[in-house]
Amino acid sequence: MTTPLDLVLGALALDPEAFQALLGPGAAHQRLGLAVVYLAGLSMAVGQSVALFAARVSPRRFAATLAVQAGLFLAAFLVWALSVWWVARVGFDAARPLRDVVAVVGLAYAPQLFGVLVLAPYLGGPLQAALSVWTLLATLVAASAVFGLTLGQAITCAAGGWLLSQLLQRTLGRPVVRVGRRVRAWVAGIESTPANPPEARR
Amino acid sequence: MTPPDPGTIALVALGALLVMGALAPLETLGWWAGWYDDPVDERALDPVSGHPDEAAATEPQAVSAAGDGPWVVFLTGIHAVGTVSHARREARLVARLRAALPHGRVIEVFPYSVTNRALTGERVFAGLWRWSLRAKLSGRRLAQIGGFLINVRNLWQVLVSADRRYGPFYSRGSAELIVRSLRRRGFPIDDGAAGARVVLVGYSGGAQVAAGAAPFVRDRTGAEVVVVSLGGVLSADPGLLDAERVWHLVGSADRVQRLTSWMFPGRWRLLSWSPWNVARHRGRLRSVVIGPCDHTGIDGYLDEEAFVADGRSYLDVTVDVLAAIAGGETARLPVAA
Repeated sequence: MTTPLDLVLGALALDPEAFQALLGPGAAHQRLGLAVVYLAGLSMAVGQSVALFAARVSPRRFAATLAVQAGLFLAAFLVWALSVWWVARVGFDAARPLRDVVAVVGLAYAPQLFGVLVLAPYLGGPLQAALSVWTLLATLVAASAVFGLTLGQAITCAAGGWLLSQLLQRTLGRPVVRVGRRVRAWVAGIESTPANPPEARR
Repeated sequence: MTPPDPGTIALVALGALLVMGALAPLETLGWWAGWYDDPVDERALDPVSGHPDEAAATEPQAVSAAGDGPWVVFLTGIHAVGTVSHARREARLVARLRAALPHGRVIEVFPYSVTNRALTGERVFAGLWRWSLRAKLSGRRLAQIGGFLINVRNLWQVLVSADRRYGPFYSRGSAELIVRSLRRRGFPIDDGAAGARVVLVGYSGGAQVAAGAAPFVRDRTGAEVVVVSLGGVLSADPGLLDAERVWHLVGSADRVQRLTSWMFPGRWRLLSWSPWNVARHRGRLRSVVIGPCDHTGIDGYLDEEAFVADGRSYLDVTVDVLAAIAGGETARLPVAA
């Protein structure tokens, strides 16, 4: 039996079978993709939490802000998965249910589970870059597996999906992004403007 | 059961190393965020020597007013677990420095904890560090590998100090500890310290902490701050530009120091705009080869049984050079002939 841990380890090893197993008949792991993305978001939020410490937020607000940030990470992922799904459908006539794309591309976020390691001094920047490249490679493997695309098509699909998601976030999604930032600032208790350093409520 | 293959062992070791790295900045960040009820262990600011035969190392010197003599703050190397070094050679260095500077003060500060908590004190992993210290002091070669964990932990703290994200917090915390220690030993912070001279002597990783703390110590005390790096594991910290002078003392056989100059890109000559190179061009930072010393241990800076051509031991040379810099007699440093 393939356990969630096996699938995550397979995704980390860039094994196409791990992604295909997620699509198999009666696969019970489709929610695994979303869980991986949320946990990856949480881990990355811890890794990039210096600003929260700098603003001297309390432990309670710190934990709440991490949860909100992971939620925002998940929302951004859904936009990206939707974009990939649409580009594959329109560009390569590769039809797959959206939920399969969410599950498989979500599992490809497994390398970002190590996002907490970005906290490591001096190596944080290179580690973050390495995790991004690792995740991109996993996404290409996942896209090939779910849509049956060649590597070149998978790259086009991922790049097109990224461009589209950026476009959506900067146009239609702008109010949503703004609300997300406000929610995060409210939960953290930080009132910040570009001219003033952040001040925190205890 | 088959033993794990070397690849797996290497992967696990790398993972453990990175986890240690990820945990490294939390003490500093938690201190800055005010998460600790008792932010600084005040008791550890007045250390008692761990060496009965080095009683002189903790004997109080005559209190000097600002301007009378240098205030030397010694920041130990990465092998330490608390304010007072368990290394016999370092205790000798401190004792000898005190004897060489009768009108000055020599104070020890533990540079690898902004809360001044000894690793073996009130900490979650205190048990681990106590075991590691026992292994380090056991004298058995295999057990000493366990003792090396302390060095790894403290090296991560050096990198926290050198990191752009955490450095400003770490340096403020270290400076705060230094200022508290100075005040407890009679430094007249509140009565005006104009003319006082504070010399931050950092050995190995302690040099990075000294460089980072220098501007904050200067701002808090109003004193002239000189940084001395003894075989320093030192990045191109912006604090180098705020010190009155920076002396980077090296031994010609010190491979650790050479590796460090390669490890921190800001020290490459190519990057002429880095604080290290700017300080060098302004004449504030001077590198001096003091002798044929290695980084530590036998033939190290603190070895009393290795001698240079003029008959002095390596420790004599180190003490002579440090005392000359602390005393402001830098026209001709007494390096090895």
